Amino acid sequence: MTTPLLETRGVWQRFGGLIANSDVSIKVGAGEIVGLIGPNGAGKSTLFNLIAGVLPPTQGSIWFNGEDVTRMPAAQRCQRGIARTFQVVKSFETMTVIDNVIVGALVRTTVMKDARRKAHEVLEFCGLGARANVLASQLIPSEKRRLEVARALATEPKLLLLDECLTGLTPIEAQSGVELVRKVRATGVTVLMVEHVMEIVMPLVDRAIVLNLGKVLVEGKPTDVVRHPEVISAYLGDRHAISA
Amino acid sequence: MDSTFTQSRRRDLTIAIFLAALAAVVPVFVKDVNIQNIMVLTLMWAALSQSWNILSGYCGQISLGHALYFGLGAYTTTLLFTKFGVLPWFGMVAGGMISALIALGLGYPTFRLRGHYFVIATIVIAEIGLLLFHNWDYAGAALGIDVPVRGDSWAKFQFTRSKLPYYYFALVFCCVAWLVTWKLENSKWGFWWRAVKDNPDAAESLGVVVFNSKMGAAAISAFMTAIGGAFYAQYVSYIDPDSVMTFQFSLLMALPAVLGGIGTLWGPVLGAVILIPLTELTRNYLGGSGRGIDLILYGSVIVLISLARPEGLIGLFSRKPASKGVPQ
Repeated sequence: MTTPLLETRGVWQRFGGLIANSDVSIKVGAGEIVGLIGPNGAGKSTLFNLIAGVLPPTQGSIWFNGEDVTRMPAAQRCQRGIARTFQVVKSFETMTVIDNVIVGALVRTTVMKDARRKAHEVLEFCGLGARANVLASQLIPSEKRRLEVARALATEPKLLLLDECLTGLTPIEAQSGVELVRKVRATGVTVLMVEHVMEIVMPLVDRAIVLNLGKVLVEGKPTDVVRHPEVISAYLGDRHAISA
Repeated sequence: MDSTFTQSRRRDLTIAIFLAALAAVVPVFVKDVNIQNIMVLTLMWAALSQSWNILSGYCGQISLGHALYFGLGAYTTTLLFTKFGVLPWFGMVAGGMISALIALGLGYPTFRLRGHYFVIATIVIAEIGLLLFHNWDYAGAALGIDVPVRGDSWAKFQFTRSKLPYYYFALVFCCVAWLVTWKLENSKWGFWWRAVKDNPDAAESLGVVVFNSKMGAAAISAFMTAIGGAFYAQYVSYIDPDSVMTFQFSLLMALPAVLGGIGTLWGPVLGAVILIPLTELTRNYLGGSGRGIDLILYGSVIVLISLARPEGLIGLFSRKPASKGVPQ
């Protein structure tokens, strides 16, 4: 891997006595789809928030596109090309779907016409074209997830961070979500996704990074990762690891 | 796809031009001074509420301290005129700028507060302003200042014989406030404000600099409010702290917008057209004994509206499917 698009170097995050991330160093190359997995409380969401710029790490540094972004606020990171979705959807509920997406598009232009055109394109891309003029609060859950993705894509990111965007969907919805992620990557956007549902993520990602107890446990090809004894023991307990 | 959007913007503008033209010819037929007075106040409160709506309606930072900016506008103009002979037109702009600067200065610490804490802070700050002016001898302290009569002229913005010049100024003020809102609504700022109101975290993740958005809204809102204050001082030609800076003024700026539809283009105008004549008429009928009754009426109207139309009266005119679903 030549200079990675995203790199965390020895990142630590402590909340009082709790260590959420300890010495996490990961790399994400341009064009990859990387899955960040791990059992509950493994520190996935924390790492995710550190990369998105919600809070700065206690220690360590974060590099994006060859630039140190460790202390950069979230809004500025978005301008550099990092976009994210939220695990608990955060739509602008009193705004229409198209207006939600325009907010994202305005990072790249201040000309309203251009922003509106861009927003329409992105909505079509995400399969929400027909819902453009509906209030965001009237969308069904799976549509709200799509809206999150659309809004993020409107900022024309280099790196898209997806926080459990496939969790809680019906199998059919999740499958079309997977297709959307593939489509996104095909446009040249790098994807880093936190995911719970292994059977959906594993066929989708190029590489998986497993976190456990705040540390990187294993990383590698998804097929290798799921067979790794430490991963199995982290998810299922030691007994299963032995029998595997 | 865009045509419906452009059409609705154009329709708003057409309606506004039509209403403004209508308002411009009304005084030709209405000669009653009392009614003219009510019309002046209605336009003024519509404009003030429109200014308040920018910070509190669009950007969602509910302020109940706008009386401070109103008073600053009134005092700046009056002090500059009486002490230094500066024409009210310059005083008006100066008052606006001072208010905008103070809004920025106050926004710096208070915009870190969320929800109720922010509202309380705005009330407290305005009360502090009121106390300061009560005790500031140079500015007349509690006795206030008389604007000396120097004869009717546009330059000095004084008219003792007719209310019409004030009426037309108020009309222009109202139109400008509306136009500013109309323009901002479909701009980067307008979208940023609404995003900040709905969900600051999501806004931040989409490149919106939340703090700057709030500061921008506060400055514009304070500037326009101060213009209203300056106008009011010229109109009543006497000010004291209690007549321009009390909590009641903050409330009166918020109510029309809340009644008509908070965070909407037409809400403040609609609210003012209903509320101000109502309150002035009750005050006239009940005379001195009815002090406060108008506010009781206000309160009842607001309660009724919030029960029947939580999104404001503008919901009755809504043509977009958008306003069908009231969030929560």
